Amino acid sequence: MSEITMPKLSDTMEEGKIIHWLKHPGDSIRHGEAIAEVETDKADMVLESFDEGVLEEIRLPEGQSAPVGAVIAIMRKPGAEREEPVTAIPTAHEPEEPVTAIPTAREPEEPVTAIPTAREHPAPAEQGNGLATPPPFHPAMSAHPSAAPTAMPAPPTRVVQPEAHPPAPRQVESGDGSKIKASPLARRAAEEAGIDLSAVRGTGPDGRVTKRDIDNFLREQQMFRFRRLVAPREGAPGSREELSSMRKTIAQRMALSKREIPHFYVTVEIDMEETVRFKNSLEATELFDEDVSYNDIIIKATALALSRFTRMNASFENDGISIYPHINIGVAVAVEDGLIVPVIHECERKSLPEIARHAHRLVSKAAQGGFTAEELSGGTFTISNMGMLGIEHFSAVIVPGQAAILAVSAIKDRPVVRNGQIVIGKTMMVTVSCDHRVIDGVVAGRFLQEIKRFLENPASLLVG
Amino acid sequence: MANSRYDLVVIGSGPGGYVAAIRASQLEMRVAVVERDRPGGVCLNWGCIPSKALLNSAETMEAIRGAAKEHGIEVGDIRVDFQRVIARSREAADKLSRGVRYLLKKNHVDLYEADAALSGPHTVALKPAPDKTPPEVSMLEAEKILIATGSGERLFPGMKIGDGVMTSREALVHDRLPESLVVIGAGAVGLEFAYFYRAFGVDVTVVELEKQMLPGFDAEIAEELRRAFVKRGVKVMLGHGYRSMEKRGDRWAIALDADGQPATVEAETVLVAVGRVPLSASIGLERAGVEIGRGGFITIDDSFRTSAPSIYAIGDVARTPLLAHKASAEGIAAVEIMAGIREPGFDLLTIAGCIYCEPEVATVGLTEAQARARGIDVKVGKIPFRAIGKAVAVNQAEGFVKLVASRQYSEVIGCQIIGHRATDLISEVVLGRALETTTAEIGRTPHPHPTLSEGIMEAALAAEDEAINF
Repeated sequence: MSEITMPKLSDTMEEGKIIHWLKHPGDSIRHGEAIAEVETDKADMVLESFDEGVLEEIRLPEGQSAPVGAVIAIMRKPGAEREEPVTAIPTAHEPEEPVTAIPTAREPEEPVTAIPTAREHPAPAEQGNGLATPPPFHPAMSAHPSAAPTAMPAPPTRVVQPEAHPPAPRQVESGDGSKIKASPLARRAAEEAGIDLSAVRGTGPDGRVTKRDIDNFLREQQMFRFRRLVAPREGAPGSREELSSMRKTIAQRMALSKREIPHFYVTVEIDMEETVRFKNSLEATELFDEDVSYNDIIIKATALALSRFTRMNASFENDGISIYPHINIGVAVAVEDGLIVPVIHECERKSLPEIARHAHRLVSKAAQGGFTAEELSGGTFTISNMGMLGIEHFSAVIVPGQAAILAVSAIKDRPVVRNGQIVIGKTMMVTVSCDHRVIDGVVAGRFLQEIKRFLENPASLLVG
Repeated sequence: MANSRYDLVVIGSGPGGYVAAIRASQLEMRVAVVERDRPGGVCLNWGCIPSKALLNSAETMEAIRGAAKEHGIEVGDIRVDFQRVIARSREAADKLSRGVRYLLKKNHVDLYEADAALSGPHTVALKPAPDKTPPEVSMLEAEKILIATGSGERLFPGMKIGDGVMTSREALVHDRLPESLVVIGAGAVGLEFAYFYRAFGVDVTVVELEKQMLPGFDAEIAEELRRAFVKRGVKVMLGHGYRSMEKRGDRWAIALDADGQPATVEAETVLVAVGRVPLSASIGLERAGVEIGRGGFITIDDSFRTSAPSIYAIGDVARTPLLAHKASAEGIAAVEIMAGIREPGFDLLTIAGCIYCEPEVATVGLTEAQARARGIDVKVGKIPFRAIGKAVAVNQAEGFVKLVASRQYSEVIGCQIIGHRATDLISEVVLGRALETTTAEIGRTPHPHPTLSEGIMEAALAAEDEAINF
């Protein structure tokens, strides 16, 4: 018998609300399986089980909140082991999807999800040097799932045979063909949790992956999940709605920012002609593996400007100004009923294609609706881009703990003067909101000039 | 010894201290070791090594007797020169102690033979040790200090050494065989000496407060060992607590208490083996701000750091189990953590416990009961030595191998062996644990035949209900 408690899923989380129970009393729960959707101050996320057993009792009904650490359900350890099909996968779950299953209406066994064919047919043992890879006990279990492309936990694809012998030790190859060092126990645990070993950082001798690394990986993978932005939420006229945890946090933080931080705003118009050409030529030449977006280019230009104007990458605290050691740029992303700010860490060390790669990974995670805690924390400067909405010009509210935020508007056809002639050019308005306790107008102005200089001479972005 | 400033000063040259010092020197620290007795500590001089030499004599004695009975080899009168038995043990200790001295020198570790006391977080005061020439310097300065002072024999209040009362330390140099002996305490040390003296024909009684021999060990192992001792003619009194002792004529009378029932046992000689205590007093810990916790052990964190940031502690003085190989492994870990090349933390479940009587006992990791108490669902494979061909061939079919694996991943989480050469067999499972092995790897690794190690392979298979030879 074990208690399931409300986990602390972010630094600031104090309580969580059950949106849906995905499991009901009597349901069996596997390691890593989603059991409930929880609303926290940051986001809605899925609570995954770190244990196996049968859900005995639900203590916290749907729609109710409980503080971190409170018992929300009781789980019974598995009794007599029986062969059970692998059940629905946690990552495939769409939060929007209504949970319709009612205990009485449920089939006694959950349907078997498709199992990759490699699992179903006996596969020959992977051929190594013929010494290190003796044939496995159960050939059907020997094939390793094809390396999952993402770090997300893949569905557990192994048919569990509780009394069966564990799979034989084998050489698992990472995507680039090199052998992954991992302990037999780590391999076994990774396989059961459906983790691609090549995604796990090993801390043993020579980077060997140990069981502890798998446990840590699973913990880090505890995803924050979001409902994707479909359309901004509209309230019916005359209606009133309770604040979601995310709205509550936004309300607190933004009010705090405007109350405490003396904002001032500086705007500059940037000629984007060269940047447009630059981006097109990157596309045409396929110089990088990664597609580079305007947003990536702006992040890189901002990072370069921040490395020269360190006060823009600072925070005002305890009557002092702390300059951050790294440039971690948060990019505001709209989600249903709020926004989140995934962070690209250490931008000062990343080249343009590296920034693009990280940004794209975050974008695809946003599309899937999941971020790790680390990806949502540690920001030192924020960019809010409303270019895709065709916005002329706007200003943003500083994130508390930072000194400035950059509001990026759309690239538009506007009349510009070139060689004494009025021509139609492509320009973009950017506005920086600054904390006047840290930054004075002249610094803000120079900072924008620097961004402008980089964007009007984008070849410079390829250096450094 | 031109300069008395060091990166690291190690206090104590036992298996923890000297090993840590050599490792530190390999990592290019300037290192000194302070030792007040003989290099090598209790292990080399008063523990592991000389006692194993004695046990080797006991085993030889059993073999010669067995030769007559089992092998049809006729042996005449067996006469024992017990002084020679003791002398041989001392020779082994001396040889290895000289070896430690040589190793320290070879690794450029300065050895100060003196009494050490902390006088601050970075200073160690040296005072002349008994029977030693006074040190050339009176103070060592150190960036970091490692305390590895070990442990000493524990006595109950009112006990006094001498006049037929010994601890293991006196027994190691006691060169006269007693006619009868009471051993107080059925832990590793008590049982080894009980076995040793019994092999030389002494009338031995073992007294233990707990209801089983080897308290804390697997109950089945303890019971198997009790039977082996009784078979050899050792009297075993379990559940008997020590109350007091008094001399009656030339014998000692020990008053005992068995759940309220008084009892008495008499013998010419008494061996007190009721555990060991950390040597944390009188080394000036309070002056350096080093905290001492329960049982007199120095309080340490994951990095072996004490409450004083520049001072570390390892081995017996820091925590149980009190074992030489644990101290060595901790010494290496502590120094590597200091050097920043290792993550904090140390897995005590890879420390094996060994008892060198016959049959030997060796264990690592959790027992079945301990695992269940921690909520781990386990499966157990058990193979008797009589199912191992080699054990039968060499007439050592006493004992069994028990291997404990988790049901979830078949992780090898513990192993208990009682039987011939158990202490040599256990290392396979220790390595297995260190490498996070499952029963699959051990069970399917071809073990050479015929060897006793096949018992471990079969036990791994047995845990999966796939044993071939049992």
